[in-house]
Amino acid sequence: MTPVLALLYWGLGPLSDPIGYGPEIQKGIALSLLASGMTVVLDIVLFTALSYYLARSRNIIAETLVDIPASIPHPVVGISLLVIDSPLTPSGKFLTSIGLNFFDSVLGLVVALTVISAPIYIKSMQPFFESMNQAHEEYALGMGASRMKTFLSVVIPNSTRGIVTASLIALSRAMSEFGSIAIIAFAVVSAPFGLSGTSPASVQVYDLFTYYGLGPAVTASAVLVLVSIPLMIALRLVRGGLRVEKE
Amino acid sequence: MIDVSVKKTLGTFTLNARLQDEGFVCLSGKNGSGKSTLLRLIAGKLRPDEGFVKVNSVEVTSHPMEKRGVVLVTPDSYIPHFPVEKHLRWGASARGIRLAKDSVSATRAALGITYEGRMDKLSLGMRERVSLATAVLSHPSVLLVDEAFAALDDKESLMSALRGLCSKQGVDVLFTTQEETDGNGADHHYLLQKGTSTRLK
Repeated sequence: MTPVLALLYWGLGPLSDPIGYGPEIQKGIALSLLASGMTVVLDIVLFTALSYYLARSRNIIAETLVDIPASIPHPVVGISLLVIDSPLTPSGKFLTSIGLNFFDSVLGLVVALTVISAPIYIKSMQPFFESMNQAHEEYALGMGASRMKTFLSVVIPNSTRGIVTASLIALSRAMSEFGSIAIIAFAVVSAPFGLSGTSPASVQVYDLFTYYGLGPAVTASAVLVLVSIPLMIALRLVRGGLRVEKE
Repeated sequence: MIDVSVKKTLGTFTLNARLQDEGFVCLSGKNGSGKSTLLRLIAGKLRPDEGFVKVNSVEVTSHPMEKRGVVLVTPDSYIPHFPVEKHLRWGASARGIRLAKDSVSATRAALGITYEGRMDKLSLGMRERVSLATAVLSHPSVLLVDEAFAALDDKESLMSALRGLCSKQGVDVLFTTQEETDGNGADHHYLLQKGTSTRLK
């Protein structure tokens, strides 16, 4: 807690600097929120079923594969995405031919955040599914329902809280990401809502620090912390609710 | 026809059971005698170390749960967010069966389901009636009932109603109980003692 409190005190108090909460940092926060929100939607759509599969099958190889992005330095993720997208590689040529570009684009930003946040999302969903009462789905299977039908109509409707919790954790992780996106999307060239040319918030903090030193960077960091506080409160509330429900 | 001959070791416990019968079959035994384990082996939740599980002469030992035609009903067997009526019809639709017009209402009447509401808001006893009714309406080959009668205040009348429904549809039932006298209301009766089965009738 100490670094956070120190940041809030110095950033918004004695060291407050208008650049730190100016229009550019506001746009950066908006871009980070937008990209992180899109990332969470992708996490839910792509990785809920995988988490369920991992929870039920205990497939060690698949679990290890899921852990890999979490165990490599984040700039490496950014560099690997650059390689995949490079015009020098076949995959890059293919992506360009279908009009997809990662470098300095919202797409690249969201892809990097998805690679980073997916293991966190999966690691939160998997124990949720593991602790779920399996008698419900076994009953459905016994009546002849397919695995897919059971997952969609029995498991998912009873997983709202797990999905919300995992999404909030993934959202916090995506909001706080720096290493990979500083490489793949230092500033997005073209973005909706007038955000073209904007750098993600965490990248801006680093940029401000290298350019001006502490002053504006401290204020910008404090503003970022303020934005993430509601996220943390929401997470607490959802988890608290979960505990009450279990009792 | 349920035809089972299985051996299964779990830790220090070994189940060694042989059961071959049809109709309304009682399986009695004390806590820890292996009743639930045997039912889980028949339902496909567990795989035997040795032996086989046959349902109506078809070997299903290695079939997944959804391809056995065997429904296991425990006090936790229900779909929490479904209202009663949807729950009752869901099992049949999951198996792709069209229900006859009055079959739901007839099953409701037989098992005394006069109430509505979300499953997770019902009392344990009310819920178990709906779970059993849903299972029967899904037309399985075998219905396994694990201690699900224990929470009911009118156990005997419900058991005889279920027996009537199932014999009409040709569904074989295997139910567990701790009370040996429950075997009186069954066509056949097996006793499990420390994992070993004995046919009493």
